Amino acid sequence: MSSRRDFFSGAAALVGAGLVSRAGAATLPEAPIMGSAATQPPPAPPNGRPYNPVVTLNGWSLPWRMKDGVKEFHLIAEPVVREIAPGMKANLWGYNGQSPGPTIEVVEGDRVRIFVTNRLPEHTSIHWHGQRLPNGMDGITGLTQPGIQPGKTFVYEFVARRPGTFMYHPHADEMVQMAMGMMGFWVTHPKNPALHAVDRDFVFLLNAYDIEPGSYTPKVNEMTDFNLWTFNSRAFPGIDTMNVRQGDRVRIRAGNLTMTNHPIHLHGHEFEVTGTDGGWTRPESRWPEVTTDIAVGQMRAIEFIADAPGDWPFHCHKSHHTMNAMGHKVPTLIGVDQRGVAEKIAKLVPDYMVMGDKGGSMGGMDMPIPENTLPMMGGQGPFGDIEMGGMFTLLKVRKDQKPGDYRDPGWYRHPPGTVAWEWTGEPPAAVRSNGPGAAATPDRKPVEVEVTVRKPTGHQGHH
Amino acid sequence: MRTQPFPIRLRVAAGACLLVLGGCASFSKDGGLDAVSTMTSERIGQDVRLHETGDAAGDDAHAEAARLLAQPLTPDAAVRVALLNNRALRASLARLGVAEADLVQAGRMRNPGIGFSRMSGGGETDIERSVMVDLVGLLTMPMRRDIEARRFEGAKLAAALDAVRLAADTRKAWFNAVAAAQSARYAGQVREAAQAGAELAARMAQVGNLSALDQAREQAFSAEATAQLARARHNAVAAREHLARMMGAWGEQTAFGLPERLPDLPASPKAAGAFEAEAMQQRLDLRLARLELEATARALGLTKATGFINVLDAGYLNSSKTGSAREDGYAIELSLPLFDWGGARVAKAEAVYMASVHRAASAAVLARSQVREAWSAYRTGYDLARHYRDEIVPLQKKISDETLLRYNGMLVSVFELLADARSQIGGVNAAILAQRDFWIAETELQAAIHGGGAAVPNTEQGLSQ
Repeated sequence: MSSRRDFFSGAAALVGAGLVSRAGAATLPEAPIMGSAATQPPPAPPNGRPYNPVVTLNGWSLPWRMKDGVKEFHLIAEPVVREIAPGMKANLWGYNGQSPGPTIEVVEGDRVRIFVTNRLPEHTSIHWHGQRLPNGMDGITGLTQPGIQPGKTFVYEFVARRPGTFMYHPHADEMVQMAMGMMGFWVTHPKNPALHAVDRDFVFLLNAYDIEPGSYTPKVNEMTDFNLWTFNSRAFPGIDTMNVRQGDRVRIRAGNLTMTNHPIHLHGHEFEVTGTDGGWTRPESRWPEVTTDIAVGQMRAIEFIADAPGDWPFHCHKSHHTMNAMGHKVPTLIGVDQRGVAEKIAKLVPDYMVMGDKGGSMGGMDMPIPENTLPMMGGQGPFGDIEMGGMFTLLKVRKDQKPGDYRDPGWYRHPPGTVAWEWTGEPPAAVRSNGPGAAATPDRKPVEVEVTVRKPTGHQGHH
Repeated sequence: MRTQPFPIRLRVAAGACLLVLGGCASFSKDGGLDAVSTMTSERIGQDVRLHETGDAAGDDAHAEAARLLAQPLTPDAAVRVALLNNRALRASLARLGVAEADLVQAGRMRNPGIGFSRMSGGGETDIERSVMVDLVGLLTMPMRRDIEARRFEGAKLAAALDAVRLAADTRKAWFNAVAAAQSARYAGQVREAAQAGAELAARMAQVGNLSALDQAREQAFSAEATAQLARARHNAVAAREHLARMMGAWGEQTAFGLPERLPDLPASPKAAGAFEAEAMQQRLDLRLARLELEATARALGLTKATGFINVLDAGYLNSSKTGSAREDGYAIELSLPLFDWGGARVAKAEAVYMASVHRAASAAVLARSQVREAWSAYRTGYDLARHYRDEIVPLQKKISDETLLRYNGMLVSVFELLADARSQIGGVNAAILAQRDFWIAETELQAAIHGGGAAVPNTEQGLSQ
């Protein structure tokens, strides 16, 4: 068993934890536990069919035991504490120490046996999202199996028939269990590792939580007003960057387990959607994009050649999804002169500061906020505040990033003359256009309100 | 000429009476005030004096009151001013003089009269000379003196009771006045918060960031806060005027100053003591009830002895109703035992005595209950005030701090910040009221033990009907 940890050399955070008694170990594979939220370098498969491993953003892949030609995995459904970003931790439910759970990587045609032990306070099950499998292995509580009661272990066994991108999540008390972070990624590699091989293959799930500022546990009943939009239960600036070598063919696979769609946008490159829930797209059906919308419950794989060196944002294009916790009902104060009023308020609330009158940017204001709460926008770049949060990270393309090296190379060093600069000449006199567009921005005219006095007529006034 | 002489026996008796009574019929030096003052200072730590405007004592009193009123009043100073200044108390003290005069009068014989008559007719002249002595007065004099002595005693108790009650009422008025002024200041702060919100809303509407509906809501809140402030200010004036009335202040005296804040809570509450027993010893209303009981017992003995003299109408139990002067009195009736040998009268006397016993017992039971209730109010008041100070107000503060953190994080708006400021002010205000209630309960506990508390309701209006 312990030899398997050798693939994780350098992954000191991996905490081997014997789940069952020594006597039971003969039949039940060990369940490794991950203690860190950092991206773990991908291990090469120690046995079985070869494949090109994926990199789980801020996550890891689950080791297996080969027994009589069957790949045996052991998932433990359990409460975990997940660091959402430095400075914030959440009480979630996950698998083997983290939420989302570890990525399961198998090869097309593998017979897979997954032991699922429930350490949650309620029953659970696992649905293998997108897989072709016997109906009784689909993991639907009440329909295809009884719930896995707390303390019990169930076994799922099927052949991973179709290569592609998949997910796993409970199909038992789903609303609560998914809101608590129960989910994981699944990749079935093609039998032929050379088939649509790429240099870097990143995977993650899109997920969202509603964690009240100052608290630690998601509100499981929220449907729309989430305040934490995450990649693999991490929010910017806690999401690791995707570090690649210039010229690498890069694949990014994402599955959406939130309750809304996410237009995922990449800067500096065009990509193609090469994989969907149904499998690999035919080359003739692909078209170039810089944004692809991932609908609820969907998975997408995009591919591109990372030919443009630099630090390129990669994010959801819904602007609220690149924010951390914020008040969605805060009224707009842009342009509101608070002189006089602010002093009055400060008399009652001594530490009051005027905010929002010039916009939403907090411009370096470093004010205390509730505990365990991420600033609405955080992250420092080489030129200042990045003013982003949530589903945001960077694709870092470098000439000298070695193959297999996933370490952060630091900020991009721009060649001279390739950074936007300030123009310091004389400003021209403002000229108002008289062209056709002028009507769209008319001079401000005083608003005239016409008041009509309605007077009684006829006999109505005699009452 | 025929003279109508006195029967020898009567003459001797009358002479003896005159001899005995002559020495008693004089006024005391202090008019009973010293006794009242002693009783008062035993209970509230302050004496009482009767003075009149214009005399030297009056000038001293006026100067003392003026001196006390010149600086922010403490509760004790307010009580002192009330004892010096309150006209109703001075009226009560003046009644002592009336009672003493009655006592002195009761010890004096009516002046004897001399009669002279001359009748002539039929050649005969009959001259009759007589000396008339108030025989009835003489016979009833010991009885009347006894009664009046007790009435005088009762008047002293009543005056002391008035003084002690006035002191308690004044203290309560002081706590009310200070708390009401504090509340009015907080109402001003609430309005300020509301006005800030309304003004901000108006500016937001002006630049197009807020609808007329939302702006109107903020304005309505501000308008409501203004109304609340007006009420709070009037309450402060009313409470202050109540204190002024208690202190008998008028004219320039009404410009007295009050401290900004109520006194702090004592570090620990009084330990529960033998308050009931203490009240049985101390309470002046219970002493009055005992006095009445003794008087009734005396009257009963008399009735049994003579059967002919009816003093049952003696009104030792004075009827005191708030708002009207105390009424008491008595009447003695000497009847000739021709038809009624007094059996029914004795029975009635016994019944009246028993009624008196029950009434005194009832007063004691009520007093004990009042003390227990006052103790509960005191302890609850202390615990509540401390709970507000140590729990609720710090929690409100914590809520405010947390709300500000949320404002900083742009999680809530400035309107929520202002709403929280208003509610925090409300919490502080509730804490002030709890503190006030404690001090009032403290005063009432003292009154229940020493003074007579709230007057024990008199179920019957004295003995006479």
